[in-house]
Amino acid sequence: MNAETLIGMLAELERIRDLTLNLIERETPRLLPAPPDEDCGTERTVFDLLLGARRAVLGNPAAARGLHDLLVAEGRRYANTPDGARLREALVASEAVENLRRVWETVSLNVLDGPAAPSAAPDAWADLLADAVIGHGLDDSILARLRPEGFA
Amino acid sequence: MTLTDPREALADQSNFIGCLVGLAGLARVVHTLAADDDRRSDPPGESDDFVHVLLGVASLGEGIERLANSVMVQPDPTVEASPPTSTATRWLR
Repeated sequence: MNAETLIGMLAELERIRDLTLNLIERETPRLLPAPPDEDCGTERTVFDLLLGARRAVLGNPAAARGLHDLLVAEGRRYANTPDGARLREALVASEAVENLRRVWETVSLNVLDGPAAPSAAPDAWADLLADAVIGHGLDDSILARLRPEGFA
Repeated sequence: MTLTDPREALADQSNFIGCLVGLAGLARVVHTLAADDDRRSDPPGESDDFVHVLLGVASLGEGIERLANSVMVQPDPTVEASPPTSTATRWLR
């Protein structure tokens, strides 16, 4: 088996993976809700951005978890520097960060948290609907569209 | 294009600089979040992974801005102009 055949196999596996993800999307329409009525405007732009982030995470869980872990490791390193420590204290006390956390949890459904084997999709991704924790009491028309039916 | 059919001018189509600018922009957003006037009444003592992700983005942005600033201070009349260009070319390749 030469290198070109191996690369061809990888390309085919990627195509099968894409088809599988498309099938999952069709079977779980609430994870990809209908866009706002308006074709453009701020609400549509934000909706597309958030939905794009959700698709990127749910469609590439292992890669997303890898990037997440890399940023966490860099953040911990930075927090040990004087500038990083000051920024950390400011972020922890910021209400805006709490709002952003609610947005992120609603978009990602917390699938990147919890245990994960190295270079593999996190367990929470496979157990998405059972373990997802959604931001409570958030009255936002854009986020409401991204929230699957049945979630608080 | 495939790995067995490379294009010579691939670097010309690279949006690497755009990625760096985007990361630097996100880092500034992190600083804006930190400077928010609305403060929590009961901030937790410990920071979790979410805060560390934000710190990681801020750190990357700081590195990118440092990189950009180091390039901006290089065009000194007493210094030969060719090294920055060749460095940039090498990085893009």
